[in-house]
Amino acid sequence: MTLTLERRPHVADAAPPVPRAPQRRAHPEKIAAGLTLLALVVTCVLALISVDISLPQMATSWSNATRFFDRVGVISFPPLPELLYLTALTVGLVLLGTLFAAFFSVPLAWLAAANTSPGRGWTAFARFLGVLTRAVPDVVLAMVFVLMFSLGTLPGILAIGIHSIGMISKLFADAIEQIEEGPRLAIRAAGGTRLQEFVSGVLPQVLPSWVATVLHRNDINLRGSVILGYVGVAGLGLEMSYAFKSLNYSLGLGIALVIFALCVVMEIVSSAVRTVMLGLAPTGRGLGDRLLRRLGVTGQNSKMDAAGQLHRPWDYARVRNTVWGGLAALIVVGSVWICDIQWGDFLTVWSYLPDTASQFWPPSFGAYGAPIMFAAMGETIAIALAATILTVLASLVIGSLAARNVAPTPRVRAGMRLVLVTIRGIPEIILAIVLIVVTGLGAQAGTIALAIGGVGLLGKLLADSLEEVKPGPQQALTAAGATRLQVYAGATVPQGLKALIGHSFYMLDTNIRAATILGLVGGGGVGYYLLNAGQGSRYDLVMTIVLMILVTVVVVEGLAMWMRRVFR
Amino acid sequence: MPELSDPFRTLTGSALAAEGVIDVRGVTKTFGETTALQDVSLSVARGEIVVLLGLSGSGKSTLLRHLDGLDRPDTGTVTVLGAAVSRLTGRPLRALRGQVGFVFQQFELVGSLTVLENVLTGALFRVRGPRLGLWGYRRALKLAALEKLDRVGLLAQSYQRADTLSGGQQQRVGIARALMQNPRILLADEPVASLDPESSAQIMALIREIAVDSDLTVVCSLHQVDLALSWGDRIIGLRHGEVVLDTATQGLSKQNVMEIYGRVTTSTGELDAIETELGSAVDDEPDEHGELDEHGELDLQTFSLARENRR
Repeated sequence: MTLTLERRPHVADAAPPVPRAPQRRAHPEKIAAGLTLLALVVTCVLALISVDISLPQMATSWSNATRFFDRVGVISFPPLPELLYLTALTVGLVLLGTLFAAFFSVPLAWLAAANTSPGRGWTAFARFLGVLTRAVPDVVLAMVFVLMFSLGTLPGILAIGIHSIGMISKLFADAIEQIEEGPRLAIRAAGGTRLQEFVSGVLPQVLPSWVATVLHRNDINLRGSVILGYVGVAGLGLEMSYAFKSLNYSLGLGIALVIFALCVVMEIVSSAVRTVMLGLAPTGRGLGDRLLRRLGVTGQNSKMDAAGQLHRPWDYARVRNTVWGGLAALIVVGSVWICDIQWGDFLTVWSYLPDTASQFWPPSFGAYGAPIMFAAMGETIAIALAATILTVLASLVIGSLAARNVAPTPRVRAGMRLVLVTIRGIPEIILAIVLIVVTGLGAQAGTIALAIGGVGLLGKLLADSLEEVKPGPQQALTAAGATRLQVYAGATVPQGLKALIGHSFYMLDTNIRAATILGLVGGGGVGYYLLNAGQGSRYDLVMTIVLMILVTVVVVEGLAMWMRRVFR
Repeated sequence: MPELSDPFRTLTGSALAAEGVIDVRGVTKTFGETTALQDVSLSVARGEIVVLLGLSGSGKSTLLRHLDGLDRPDTGTVTVLGAAVSRLTGRPLRALRGQVGFVFQQFELVGSLTVLENVLTGALFRVRGPRLGLWGYRRALKLAALEKLDRVGLLAQSYQRADTLSGGQQQRVGIARALMQNPRILLADEPVASLDPESSAQIMALIREIAVDSDLTVVCSLHQVDLALSWGDRIIGLRHGEVVLDTATQGLSKQNVMEIYGRVTTSTGELDAIETELGSAVDDEPDEHGELDEHGELDLQTFSLARENRR
């Protein structure tokens, strides 16, 4: 007490306290995450240098390109009936694979979503299973299944299906976590079971988002199906790989062109379906309604009592839903028919299983030895990192200009969106093949192919995220007299930053797997060894490579989850 | 006429409790640091229309959720229709919930489903297994749902998407869904807090009408004193999770209620908050300019009519 009394005048004598701005105290975890992010960017730049992308060299290799195209001559196509069959087969196979994944993703998503999961352990288990299926490239799965099943469509369907479960179940689970809990609670309050809560309260809410996810994944799988041809899965990809292997570039490029067109068409179809489905609630005053009324099909039931309302009137919404539903069912049935699935394989596969499994275990580095394999894996990671940074930079420009609230004119936005759709349509593998011809084998071709391909996806995701930011802050800055660029930097980007970080990690995640796959066609990295090992039946080496990829993907996934949590 | 000098639990332990369908004994519930309910005891007789009055955060919703077994008390017991809700699980709990209709402030409909499909979810406890949309409901159930919709005046909208309706209409669907359970008790959590005054009056009148017609016991939380006084038979006032008032509404004035709140509230700041939120002032002059009051008067006529019918 005395001490304080003695001290008081001393304090008063000291210089008057200067009002200091309160220091912002950063959370230590946030600092760590920020530093990690910075380190990652530096690594990306180093990787970019290491894959040695040099413009002069590309210029000199231009002569390669002209020589290549001279040799191609006129692009040729397979005969029309065969082409149609192959196209239908590819589409059917991809669709069935995606549906297979969607089917098994439902229970997995239910377990993984925090609000429906029966327990934390189940959540972790389901999420881990998702990461696992996502980490194993579909090419590897196809290689294995080709061993176990008779040649045909089944290995492809299963490879696509199992690999897609990872992404689909994750997005399904995310959708479940974003629902409004109220309707579910209402069903619980009325005495419904957990299953009834899910089917009547959750499912109707997530269905549009789920269908959009499935369509999106189907697009990805269609592009990815090309590479499956390289390991013997039937369809356009297989024909293309035959053509290139027999140096029939004319036919190869022709098929590539068909695949490109197919991808663009599918992209347009699925975005049309998405719009129709996510579109606003029917008003009853649209063109279709008027048409139906004129035909006398629809209209209010004349008897306005309960019994008179027992049957749902054929209004536009019902007709539309029925037509779309019927069409979808028809397409699925057609897919099953054209894929000519050997159902008997499901019985015989079990006898091959122990034998096949024993070929994969124990893993070994084979004749190459550990240093070579690690270096190869390092190169794959470098390709992925370099491609990601290039993609992020390009997407920032193109994606921003494709956002409605950033683009200076609607025409610019439309133009950029078209660029993005076109890029998305080109399967990376075709890009890589062309680039390899132009720049020669190696990491450079892989990196550029991945970077360009990535812009299609990241640019779109970024544009969508920017369009979803709250308009308020932008209007406030505009009202305060800020320029367009100031509004963009001061209001739009800060709001979209979190999404950008999340999407970029997603990109890195996809790129690591894609970098592996591009190696199959000579794009550098571990993929080359993977193909060799597969073709030489050294499955212990395949196992080692798969494990390396698995570890890398899990690490990146963990980093991404951490970043998303910290920068929330 | 209750004695106003002793506002605390005027009616608890009275003869009404003898045939109580809801019996809450010493219930305390905490969520982390906050105490939502503090030693709450009350009982509600069959056919009573009770208003839970209180500010937001006073524990009204928590109490209602306890009555439907959506929350479990830390201590104390909740008995509804003779069953100890707080100890039930699984099928018996669902069977009890089936007897208790619940109307929510935010309606809680699935917007992408039709009105009829939403109403039918109220019958889920009577069917086995899950149902998506209209599939798998028996004709009799569909017919019953349509009749409930007719009851709330929305038969013509049966096949519209729920999210195309106005707020008042959506709450009617919510009521129809609760009726679909053929409940014996109806719980309503701030059923008109998200609605405009006109729809509010209509919805409250509808609930009262249905309650009288179907001989339902109703517990409804509200935060407007006027509405509570004109609408309910009995008011239970909650403050910081404690019951501070439990009395019949007859002969009670808004001023009485505010006085009681004034007496149990020590800080003036809190009283200001109560005044603002309960929509009244503790002065002697009657509030003549509030929008709610106008409608409060309008309601009064409807409700007294309903009350007459009942007697």
